[in-house]
Amino acid sequence: MTREEAEAPAAAAREMARPVLSAVGVYRSFSGNPVLQDVSIAIHEGSIHALLGENGAGKSTLINILSGGLKPDAGEITVGGESHASLTPLLAQRFGIAVVHQELSLAPHLSVAENIAFGRLPRRRGLIDYPRLATEVHALFADLELDLPLATPVETLPLGTRQLVEIAKAIYRKPKLLILDEPTSSLAAVEVARLKRVMLRLRAQGIALLFISHRLEEVLELCDYVTVLKDGRRTASRPLAGADAAELVRLMVGRDPGDLFPPFESRAAGPLLVVEGLHSRRLKDVDLTLRRGEILGVGGLVGHGQENLLLSLVGAEAHRSDRMELDGRPVRISGVAAAARLGIAYVPSDRKIEGLHLPQSLHFNLILPTIRHLSRHGLRVPARERATVTDLLKRFAVRGGRAEDRVVQLSGGNQQKIAIGKWMPLEPRILLLNDPTRGVDVETKREIYLMLRRLAAAGTSTILVSSDTPELVELCDRVMVLAEGRVRVVLDHAAASEEAIVAAAIGADTRERAA
Amino acid sequence: MKTSSLYGAIFWRRNSGAWGIMAAALLMLVLYACLFPDLLHLSGLARLSQTWFPLAAVAMAQAVIMLTGGVDLSTGPVVSVGCVLSASVIDDGALPTIGGILLVLAVGAAIGGLTGLVVSLLRLPPIIVTLATSFIWTGAALLIMPDPGGSVPDGLSNALAGDFPTPIFVIAGLVVLWKLWTLTPQGFASATFGDNPVGAFRSGVKVETVRILAYAISGVLTILAGLFLAAQTGSGDPTIGAPYTLNSITAAVLGGVAFTGGVGTMRGALAGSLLLTAIISVMFLLGISAFYQYVVQGVVILVAMTLPLLRRN
Repeated sequence: MTREEAEAPAAAAREMARPVLSAVGVYRSFSGNPVLQDVSIAIHEGSIHALLGENGAGKSTLINILSGGLKPDAGEITVGGESHASLTPLLAQRFGIAVVHQELSLAPHLSVAENIAFGRLPRRRGLIDYPRLATEVHALFADLELDLPLATPVETLPLGTRQLVEIAKAIYRKPKLLILDEPTSSLAAVEVARLKRVMLRLRAQGIALLFISHRLEEVLELCDYVTVLKDGRRTASRPLAGADAAELVRLMVGRDPGDLFPPFESRAAGPLLVVEGLHSRRLKDVDLTLRRGEILGVGGLVGHGQENLLLSLVGAEAHRSDRMELDGRPVRISGVAAAARLGIAYVPSDRKIEGLHLPQSLHFNLILPTIRHLSRHGLRVPARERATVTDLLKRFAVRGGRAEDRVVQLSGGNQQKIAIGKWMPLEPRILLLNDPTRGVDVETKREIYLMLRRLAAAGTSTILVSSDTPELVELCDRVMVLAEGRVRVVLDHAAASEEAIVAAAIGADTRERAA
Repeated sequence: MKTSSLYGAIFWRRNSGAWGIMAAALLMLVLYACLFPDLLHLSGLARLSQTWFPLAAVAMAQAVIMLTGGVDLSTGPVVSVGCVLSASVIDDGALPTIGGILLVLAVGAAIGGLTGLVVSLLRLPPIIVTLATSFIWTGAALLIMPDPGGSVPDGLSNALAGDFPTPIFVIAGLVVLWKLWTLTPQGFASATFGDNPVGAFRSGVKVETVRILAYAISGVLTILAGLFLAAQTGSGDPTIGAPYTLNSITAAVLGGVAFTGGVGTMRGALAGSLLLTAIISVMFLLGISAFYQYVVQGVVILVAMTLPLLRRN
């Protein structure tokens, strides 16, 4: 369009190309926690731009802002030659921004063809033109090397295939900018190869692509530019040429832990829980030894079986194992109640739904798991309950929380303390924590870390699933990395660096794909 | 897959869920005809179709709402409003009759559209909004006509509820109109976005507009049931609609329309209402107490909901 573009020599055309979309100085926070700070990005036509960052670095928030799903607190987005303080989904669509989200936007019971054109079905005299729909989707599939039955309901297709339908749906809209949020995470090797070819072809057609992936080898192979986010800040945004995997990993991690973490000291003693050959829907042949007073970290890419491991150990998910011993005695964990009797307590990650009763009082929440112990002859004893609650509130330093307050009034961090603290009267021997610091501010993180240390010092064993790699490094006696439901590696405290953990999580992926 | 057969292939599959209920309804009709061969005469058929029509109309209305992911608890009261309104405004003579009918249908569209507007604007769950409006329309019907009364032109009564099975043709016409509606992009969206409105919004569907249109259509169908009841009884009754709220949900659910939205067909809902009508009519004609009819109705719902689950497992 512009003069520069017309006159630029072909070789430099990509460098000179006007960005399809650029964002400058984007800020966004959620309930006081900054998620994006001063992030800028420019995505050029005919290029593939990688967006990298650890879990929680702010990638999804940035994508949502670029596609109009979220308003930034500050910043400017320039698209189609116009500057906007924020976009709306409709505006983004008009400018040709299409997003393939991780959670699918398909209508499960509709056919493949209808899903692809949903929202812009071709019509003739006001009615949907099915023959033309078939022709168009046929042509699109030929272009994408897809061979799918058009009339099949999407819900009957395997997940990986649904992901391909989702991508085809975005491309059907003839986007100028296509944002792909981890499109390869649910695809098998053949599908990944096909997707790569499609991406290269779209690039050749002049489309701009923003590609989010945890697989570095894909990024190195496909991308022209890279933007790296770390803790909501941009650590790099530049052409990819010349970068290698180690450098990208360094840019993604390697923050200064500062004094966020209490000094590490291991109190781990003899084995408490020994599990061999644990299988479940998402777990394959997991071996695990948890020692007394140990904090065992479990890391890896989100959704690779970490939560399932905790759910199996607390009896909330069907599982089988070759051997499961607690204190040297074989045990069967048949349900949450059985787990509680064995002294195993589980704190779910979604404290708002699974972990707490938000509209109820602190008192109610804190006594709920132990209400049977606190009552006498089947009747509640208010004095005992009050004493317990007072003690718990003091022990867990819940700022400004009175027993009669409703949990919903507390900050996220204090809610988390209640979600953990309510199990304490049971004196659990094993505490299973699922991402306890997610969406929690730094100060509360520090308090939770201190609490975990104190519990460990008192002999409680903890399994800590976390998407926050630094806390695995700094807090845990050992770190187990899961990939696709298998134990990739178990690192002891000295060997557990962020680089090692991330490399294990990603490297595992690479090997699986190559196989 | 040949491109020309795409439509056929899609709809063959979509209807496959409704075969069971259609077969059940047909079987019940056969039983009906065996017990009471009168059904095979024009007047017998007319009688059954008149019993069926109000339920068929509200089942369709309910299905429209349920497909958008909602549920309508105000069906019965709106039927009552339709009945008393019809008995008040439809006068003798060709022009006043047609004008009156159009007025009543327009009120139905307004009632439905208003409900849809409230659901969309206030972002309240449809079940809450229609719970509230059910009281409003109950009161409105009683304000229009505190006691049963009024009248409907004999011509209209004879045309709709005479010795000829007119209702069957009206239902056929409604099915054709519905088919056309689902072939428009808005209609297609209204019948399918229910279980994933966020995905539909991201796909560029104007979810709010589509929802309001769907509620307006549902309002017309509901008020039509009231109009028919007025024609059938020849007068207005401000509480006649009461049983239709739960019965409409029953028929739609029997017909395979999902509470979660998006799944189900109009044909299924109609078959569900037919099955229900046939069961109740047969029991009535056999002289079985109305109390047993309720029990049977409950059992039928449970059985119908359980059978597909058994098949899937």
